[in-house]
Amino acid sequence: MARLNDDAQWIVLMGFVVSFSLFFLAIVINQSTVVGQTTAESVSEFPKNDIRGVRDVIVQSAIMDDQDPFKNRTGVQEDIRALSLGRENSVVSFTSTTIGQHTYTDIHYNNGVTAYNETYSSP
Amino acid sequence: MNSDGQLYTIEGIAAGLIMIMTAYIVVNSTSVYTPGDTHISDMQLEVLGGDALNMMNTAPNGTIGKNPLQTIVENDDASGFNTLFLNTVNARAGSGRDSIQFVANVTYRMTTGEINSTPLSSSTHPLTGGEHAVRASEWIMVEKQFPDCHASSCRGKHAVLVEVLLWRD
Repeated sequence: MARLNDDAQWIVLMGFVVSFSLFFLAIVINQSTVVGQTTAESVSEFPKNDIRGVRDVIVQSAIMDDQDPFKNRTGVQEDIRALSLGRENSVVSFTSTTIGQHTYTDIHYNNGVTAYNETYSSP
Repeated sequence: MNSDGQLYTIEGIAAGLIMIMTAYIVVNSTSVYTPGDTHISDMQLEVLGGDALNMMNTAPNGTIGKNPLQTIVENDDASGFNTLFLNTVNARAGSGRDSIQFVANVTYRMTTGEINSTPLSSSTHPLTGGEHAVRASEWIMVEKQFPDCHASSCRGKHAVLVEVLLWRD
């Protein structure tokens, strides 16, 4: 357009500005999909419910004993290990020791991505 | 040297740059949502199912009695699970209900050490295999005799997994 006709240069410039800003907005929206994707992946990957659940049953089993079939401590602990490995893809290891009045339960959880370790004490 | 065409050259370069940039931005600003990219809605459905199971695994008013999920599993109460679970996951703010469907199993360890599942409950739409289902699970402790063992020594407590497949219909 140089030297041919210099009219309406402002209109052309504004046209460029508007179209570029539209494209930049589109890029921002495009990035939001990527951000949501990675967030969702990390939420799905972190086994929060799994750890809470297995911790809950381990703590319950720690205060059980083997005196009659209704207090089936050994069986329950074997259930926890087998089902963790078979259905939740996680290795669970736990032991209880009693020192004086207190029972300490060491809980180790590992599913290959997340490891969780805790010493639960009661009372 | 003749410098007559300099302005035309500069304008040509500028126009070329603008075209290249435009092409770059246009290509960048589109995102294709492929069926493999459904993590976002999958995660939401998974969290919803996990929360619903968590809620059912909580004793009412913090009492030490059995919670609804334990009672349902011990009594094989398929319709009770169906009602409670669907009411929880399909509740919506405002009018109307969501249309989430499910299949629930109880997974336990047999006396032989192998793992087995028994069906607990399912919604009216059967799982045909074409759905995009996600899995939610909940650990519970139940006093129940499972079909693999009829001896009285098997009537005691077991740690079992309630596994639910959820999908939106």
